[in-house]
Amino acid sequence: MRMRLLTIAGLAMSGLAVAVGAETQQAEPEPVTFLGQIIAPEQITRGEVLYAESCASCHGADLEGAPDWRRRNANGRMPAPPHDKTGHTWHHSDRQLFTITKLGVGSVVPGYESDMPAYQNILSDAEIIAVLAFIKSTWPERQRAAQAGINESEGEGS
Amino acid sequence: MDRSGAFNKPASATGNGHPRKPHRRMFLTMTGGTFIAALLPGRSAQATGYATSAITFSGQTVIVAGDSVRSVDVSTGTTVDLTTPERPVHALAIHPDRPDRLFAAPEDGGIAQSNDGGRLWHSAGNGLPDAQVTALAVAAAAPDTVYATVSGDGLWRSEDAGGTWSFVMDRPWIEEAERDVLALASVNLASGMGGIWLYAGTETGLTRVPDCFCRWQDVVAGDAMDALVAGAAPPPEAPLPEDEPVLALVSAHAAPERLFAALPSGLWASADGGVMWERKSSVQVRALAVDPMDPGHIAAATDTELKLSRDGGANWATLAAL
Repeated sequence: MRMRLLTIAGLAMSGLAVAVGAETQQAEPEPVTFLGQIIAPEQITRGEVLYAESCASCHGADLEGAPDWRRRNANGRMPAPPHDKTGHTWHHSDRQLFTITKLGVGSVVPGYESDMPAYQNILSDAEIIAVLAFIKSTWPERQRAAQAGINESEGEGS
Repeated sequence: MDRSGAFNKPASATGNGHPRKPHRRMFLTMTGGTFIAALLPGRSAQATGYATSAITFSGQTVIVAGDSVRSVDVSTGTTVDLTTPERPVHALAIHPDRPDRLFAAPEDGGIAQSNDGGRLWHSAGNGLPDAQVTALAVAAAAPDTVYATVSGDGLWRSEDAGGTWSFVMDRPWIEEAERDVLALASVNLASGMGGIWLYAGTETGLTRVPDCFCRWQDVVAGDAMDALVAGAAPPPEAPLPEDEPVLALVSAHAAPERLFAALPSGLWASADGGVMWERKSSVQVRALAVDPMDPGHIAAATDTELKLSRDGGANWATLAAL
């Protein structure tokens, strides 16, 4: 009987250890991925620097977008939208975000005129990915999960 | 019959139950909410001279709104007057999961809501600008999400069934100018951005925006991104005629890729989400609705008649005089 109790206690302890381990694991932030690849923290840091240099002047230092960004400018073009949870960036797949950034919005929506340039001659592919990974790293879990679902629907993973 | 306890129009004021002129007092603009109670006895369809601006299916009836709000039984054509609005109704919207809940856009602004199939109404435009609501739609996949386009302003959304509204998008930009939206339809086809599409008919044609509201864009085949990556030539398109206003636009709830549009040149239909269009009839339509249970069952209001088609718009029969 004593051996049985010890066994039960041991199992309980190991179960507790597993539960604690799982809890600790859940507390770990999910790594940021882009096009299915895990992005290293130093790349995200590099992306933050590049964002400040190349994007923040229009999209906002805190990714908040241009003031009144839902209202069209006098020239008919839309102001720069936010990239935080209040915007619609997280409604786009990784593939769409990369293509829009590299080739311009008009590459995805033919004929669409935007003030945002195509970055293919300004940033390398790796730098574009770093910037986009940094933006993704700022999203709350709900937005990251929703965007991961959009990626999955395109079959590219999150 | 006083159903609202707040506002009751005596039967005599309706001209023996057949109001030919709209009452000129305000419709749904009184403070604290305005209610209309003018339940009139059923009667057979007959010519009355009403102007009709909007129609929608509600169960086995078609709700007809304009100078009056009435229901017409789709089997018998029997018409029941529901209310006599103080201001004519400009647009209507409903979701098939909530057939008794109607949203209406009265002339000169605001939104009215009825939860009893069109008899009693209250104001539901809290936060909207004081301008004409030109079109209404309920989100196909979210019955509590309602869209309204405001003249000279843009697209607004309520996610609590008309309780509160927020601005989500400017008006469509077409041919170097912003365009008012004349007709709006929530189309339950995947936008590729985690949601569905909102289609808009304007004075200069058709456009659409994903319901994340990133940008108005032309209706094209497939996914523009796929075409870009694959380098494939886009499939052929047969768009609606250019330079004609899209006066009414509906998507079939049971088959959202099937769209119907009313233009001055007649009734047009698409079976592929708006890429290829075919003119089905030369009938001149003021308002249009499609049965949520049967995508081939269409109701159309002309200047003088409410018509039904059972074959997707090719053949029509008169259901009631208007």
